[in-house]
Amino acid sequence: MSFLERMDETLRRSVVWRSLFRQPYANDERSRAYAVMNNVFLHIHPVRVRQHAVKFAYTFCLGGLSFFLFLVLTITGVYLMFFYVPSATQAYTDILDIQTKVAFGLLTRNIHRWGAHLMVFFVFLHMMRVFYHGAYKPPREFNWVVGVVLLFTTILLSFSGYLLPWDQIAYWAITIGTNMGGYLPLFNTPVNRLLLGGLEVGQNTLLRFYVLHIMFLPLVAAIFLAVHFWRIRKDGGISGPL
Amino acid sequence: MADHDVKAPSESRVVLPVDPARRTEIDKQRVPMSARPYRLLALVKQDAVVRVQKEPDDTVMTWPHLLSIEFLAAGMMSILLLLMGLFINAPLEELANSNVTPAVAKAPWYFLGLQELLAYFHPVVAGVLVPGFVFMGGALLPYIDRGNIHATRMADRKTAVVLFTMLWLLGLTLTFVAIFFRGPGYSFTIPYLPFFPNSIDGFHFAL
Repeated sequence: MSFLERMDETLRRSVVWRSLFRQPYANDERSRAYAVMNNVFLHIHPVRVRQHAVKFAYTFCLGGLSFFLFLVLTITGVYLMFFYVPSATQAYTDILDIQTKVAFGLLTRNIHRWGAHLMVFFVFLHMMRVFYHGAYKPPREFNWVVGVVLLFTTILLSFSGYLLPWDQIAYWAITIGTNMGGYLPLFNTPVNRLLLGGLEVGQNTLLRFYVLHIMFLPLVAAIFLAVHFWRIRKDGGISGPL
Repeated sequence: MADHDVKAPSESRVVLPVDPARRTEIDKQRVPMSARPYRLLALVKQDAVVRVQKEPDDTVMTWPHLLSIEFLAAGMMSILLLLMGLFINAPLEELANSNVTPAVAKAPWYFLGLQELLAYFHPVVAGVLVPGFVFMGGALLPYIDRGNIHATRMADRKTAVVLFTMLWLLGLTLTFVAIFFRGPGYSFTIPYLPFFPNSIDGFHFAL
């Protein structure tokens, strides 16, 4: 028995461990199956998975990490919402206050910002991984389409959040970004009016982007995430070398 | 029925004569029991009506084999985020001012490839046709690539792999140029190399 195994054994026999966990560690298949099946968060997984799905170098956990980042962004975002008012006169000072006066405000905003960039990046990487494995082929065609919608939603989530600090980077990046969409033939004027709430980026734009960012797009993402995960199971589990 | 056959050897069983022209395979097999060189002694019950071909099991338990990897990955990501959050501050510039145009205004990094295209093509091409084509083409990919559905190895799907790789390499190059080589007024500049006439000290980019 190795040193680590003995440590493990000692830890599990200790009074503290046994007071913490009411059941012994699941060693047999039956209790391991129950550990997944009887847990509301874990039962997203099947009880057993194919062996290649466990290989880290096959998926690099890219989809899972994208979802994890989504959760982190939801939690940090909710915290930031307590201290932020989407008003052109107040938003910028709120950000300054978050950075200087709010407890862990700067850290939370930093994590939210970097997490957002990482999420876009990881969703891109996840799509590339799926492509190179040919995992969009039947029967998984529709789940690829759902994935593309999720990529688009992720980008929109990031883009709508970009405006909220209401500083020069935000203002001009959104001006450039929405100008690009303004070249859509026939629809350019209505779409821009709808998105900006006016002729240029202003108070209406801030409020619209805020509502899109904190409510509408997360809901859209949540619905498509549910379909995405459900379809993984229905389409025969995680893809593998056929 | 089989039981009955065994108990009373069916000498009495009559095979109805069939019109030779209409004799089928089944009729040919209908031989009187007495004509057979063997007899039915007993019937052995099968395990189930349908015999299932059981494949060798290549699965493992989700706990601990998959979940431990997921928890580890989530933990590593948390540490990375915490370190980034502690040591790199999110950018924040002056208050938004529609009257003060910055030296160069750049879109967020994931749109920079399109902004770079704007420098070469008409806005309808760069802002509408290219992104529309990429998005629609991307979404419809499984319905376009209808080749061998079992070809998942890269060597078996060279066209798809080469096209896809070229597409993202192109996007990456455009984004790279837009991040590092675009300065004031979105002119082409070279960062940090003062012996070039169009060099600037640093590059204009915010995450």
